[in-house]
Amino acid sequence: MSSNSKAAARAQKAAELRAAQRKRENRRRVLTIAAVVAAMVLIVGGAIGFSVWKQDKDEQKLEDAVSAASQYGVAIGPEDAPHDVVIYEDFLCPYCGELERASRDDLARLAGEGKVRVEYRPFDLLSRLGDYPIRATNAFAVVLEKSGPEVAKEFHDLLFENQPSEDDPGSVTDDDLVAYAVEAGAVEADVRPGIEGLSHRDWVTEATDEAMAAGIQGTPTILLDGEVFQDGRTVEDLAANLVAALE
Amino acid sequence: MKRALPWAGLLARVVTGAVWIVAGGLKIAEPDASIAAVRAYELLPSSLAQWVGLALPAVELVVGLALVLGVLTRGAAVVSALLFVAFIVAIASVWARGIEIDCGCFGGGGAKAGAASEYPWEIARDAALLAASLLVAAVRRTRLAVDSLLFDQRPEDRATTTEGAVS
Repeated sequence: MSSNSKAAARAQKAAELRAAQRKRENRRRVLTIAAVVAAMVLIVGGAIGFSVWKQDKDEQKLEDAVSAASQYGVAIGPEDAPHDVVIYEDFLCPYCGELERASRDDLARLAGEGKVRVEYRPFDLLSRLGDYPIRATNAFAVVLEKSGPEVAKEFHDLLFENQPSEDDPGSVTDDDLVAYAVEAGAVEADVRPGIEGLSHRDWVTEATDEAMAAGIQGTPTILLDGEVFQDGRTVEDLAANLVAALE
Repeated sequence: MKRALPWAGLLARVVTGAVWIVAGGLKIAEPDASIAAVRAYELLPSSLAQWVGLALPAVELVVGLALVLGVLTRGAAVVSALLFVAFIVAIASVWARGIEIDCGCFGGGGAKAGAASEYPWEIARDAALLAASLLVAAVRRTRLAVDSLLFDQRPEDRATTTEGAVS
């Protein structure tokens, strides 16, 4: 009897110890998981923090650079307009073409009403796909110099209306560029030599360097009153929201 | 087969994890490009795209590290599998809508002509990595995982238990 109860007490004690052991194990397990999860959250948070900081820095750099006046573009609207829009674009970039189609008429109207000054700054982002961005931007610079900003703006519009696809940038030839320039109001004899001879190749390089120095990473990049404007899910949304912000 | 599975699990873990680390690492220093890449899918509203673009590289990096090291392996494998499902859906969706973009999987992103021809291969790649993630989640214990150090009962613990039972 007594040996029986002794054995029972021993068994109970052993069970208690095992339970305590299990409890310790469980606690250690939970603490370990919590520590690992905490470490992961810290890494994710740190990485996001780093990205936000980097993004702010990039954006600041861009906004500083953009507020500086550029000689590599063409502007419409009065200089003292209440709003100021800068659009960086590449003549080959399909989204730029879409943005042009979706926003050009409204922006021109708003500029005409004196509500905004819009500056288009073309540069060469996509010449790795073909020499079209260089030829088109060069042609733009030639027209700007020979025939003035109004004709250059018209020429700029025509280039986007007749934009070649990224698959076949060579489909718009130098002759085509000359024809569009003439259609825009340039005198053929003024612009043909420059367009065929890439006379403003340096202008293109400088405009591109300026955009790169500003930290432009893609086209189109829109700045509204010195801040990057990217409010929209699609290019159409973006254009609609931009126009709405200016109305 | 029983013996081979943990090793297969290790292989799947390291391959998938390495892909995540490369994918996350390439994007983490280029937040603008990453956000633009998310935006190019035209699936998310702008402000949400911004957060996804910022958070995704970090999450990818951590999931990758967890898989390679074998820390909280099953959880990481499940997150990895969910991400691959999301990517497959996203690529299928741009494909179906006829949008041609660089998938932005390893940095880059944005419009790209002729990208549609790459979609099947991108989906196949993601499906293979999805399968690898599911394998890791299913195997439970893979070889050479930090989890074994963290969570397996240590031999000395077992010794004390036995001792306790005897005294």
